Amino acid sequence: MKRMLFLILFELKKILNRKKALLFLLALNVVPLVASLALLIAFVKFRGFGFGQIQFSVLYEIVQGLFTGHVKLFAFIAPFFLALVVGDSFSTEFSRGYMKMLLLTPINRWQVITAKTVAIMIFLLLAVAIGGMFLQADLLIARTLTQNSGDISETLLQSMPESVRNSLPSDAKPLYLVSTTSALQLLAMTFFGNLMLIGFFIVFSLFFESAILMSFTSLSVLMAVHTFYLIATGLLSKIDPVYNQLAQWCFTRHLDDLFAIKSIQNILEGKAGLLSEGIFSSLLAISFWTAAFYLLATLIFSRRQILH
Amino acid sequence: MTAAIKVTGLNKNFGRKKVLQSLHFTVPPDTIAGFLGPNGAGKTTTLRILLGLIPSYQGNLEMLGCNIPAQRVSALEQIGAVVENPTFIETMSAYENLYWFGSLYKTLLPARINEVIEMVGLKDATNQRFGTFSTGMKQRLGVAFGILHKPRLLILDEPTSGMDPAGRVHMREILRRIHDEEKTSIFLSSHLLDEVQRLCNYVVIIDKGVTVSEGFVADLLASTLEKWELRLVDEEIDRARGLISRLEKNISVSNLPRGLLLAMPAGLSAQVNSELVRAGIKVNALIPHEASLEETFIKLTSDSGDKGGSA
Repeated sequence: MKRMLFLILFELKKILNRKKALLFLLALNVVPLVASLALLIAFVKFRGFGFGQIQFSVLYEIVQGLFTGHVKLFAFIAPFFLALVVGDSFSTEFSRGYMKMLLLTPINRWQVITAKTVAIMIFLLLAVAIGGMFLQADLLIARTLTQNSGDISETLLQSMPESVRNSLPSDAKPLYLVSTTSALQLLAMTFFGNLMLIGFFIVFSLFFESAILMSFTSLSVLMAVHTFYLIATGLLSKIDPVYNQLAQWCFTRHLDDLFAIKSIQNILEGKAGLLSEGIFSSLLAISFWTAAFYLLATLIFSRRQILH
Repeated sequence: MTAAIKVTGLNKNFGRKKVLQSLHFTVPPDTIAGFLGPNGAGKTTTLRILLGLIPSYQGNLEMLGCNIPAQRVSALEQIGAVVENPTFIETMSAYENLYWFGSLYKTLLPARINEVIEMVGLKDATNQRFGTFSTGMKQRLGVAFGILHKPRLLILDEPTSGMDPAGRVHMREILRRIHDEEKTSIFLSSHLLDEVQRLCNYVVIIDKGVTVSEGFVADLLASTLEKWELRLVDEEIDRARGLISRLEKNISVSNLPRGLLLAMPAGLSAQVNSELVRAGIKVNALIPHEASLEETFIKLTSDSGDKGGSA
């Protein structure tokens, strides 16, 4: 157990030791980072110079857009960075000989693959947590900006779900429009969605000795699978319904369902949660695929010859 | 006592190419054993199979009494190994690398890291990044990693490759010290026959994936023909050659600038000398040529090549 812990820490250290790791963390959180900057400028401009106050209704849209944009963009660009991180942890280690050195120590191969997976998961969690932290900071700035504005329009109040409306304190502040539970659920969704992709990339990384080549190939396959899904459910299903059945096996469709703008907004507005029907079934399917990719990777790795 | 390494009927193919064919050898405990063979003989493949880097093969393997691959992890707990060039994390220092890799063994004390670093002569480079190391320093850090957990057996693949002569001497001293002070058996593959002869007391020779010979170096050398340089007056060289060839069939004679080179079974030199003197030939000197592993190696591997060719 202690050895496994050391192995995970060692792998995490290797990931974070790379200069590009910091770049990845920043790039993945570009939306909340830029928003922080923009809100900070607004804060200085409006509070510092007394130009009046931002209306609540405007900020409501900003905050909603910020969360939706972040989750959507994260879901879109995270695969590119994750492929490179996975490639560095496996493919590059095969070519550089680090993997050989690791396997000369008394640890099993399944332990190596588990430790590396956990370390990449922690990296992903870190990326998600940093985004969450900045979003929280954005909300704090936003709250300060609209303090005492008292501008919750009647129309807006009507459009809110009743649970949210009731949870608002008497001097309603916009911060409560995105509850902590909703924010955490969105971040958890982002994390689990990408976990499946980590498993997918690991399977590919076992066949390559170059992280770039591995990333390029695996992302191409990922896009091909999704394109097939789109064509099969659209045009092809009209020709033959069997395409519709085939498309059900395209694992990327669960990510599409999970990160649909409608789902994100429903969570933000408290209308849906991780346990809601559509979202939960997507998460369940994603867990199944994650386990399948991980088992496949372990099987391939146990047979792999280390010749460099 | 349990053999350090026991290999029986080891077969390995890469595609259609047969790399190892019924390879077998046993390395006795408490030895420094050399693993010799020409390029492409299958040495590195054998070491990789022994250490679990190549999981698919046929045959039975045992190291320190542990069955491989079933007890691979418990075997590696008592074995240190470096296959080909050691590659540590380039951005980490020597100490950090040993700390992190060493933490994957059952027991590791920080004092031991400093001890092995000092033992391999890298004390001044303790905090230097591995990426800035010279080839010799990298090899020495590899050995330090191998002995970090005080193994009973140390397996090294070409530990002096890419090193200058002074570095090789130093490495030899380090390995001898590890064997003497830490009671560690050593199994090393090398191309440098002279080095193996100076360091090892046991040797396994393979060629084309087949065991050619194995045994203690002293026994192996004793079984080969002794070589003697016979110094004579120029005019008497031909007469001496005729006399010697009539004397004994097992003596092979070749020309040297000031005499003859004789290769003959042990114990014949005195008889040859007295026969020459009795025939009135003036023997200026009879100088023994020390038997070398190189000659034995070339003879054995070329013999196996002939057999392979005729098969």
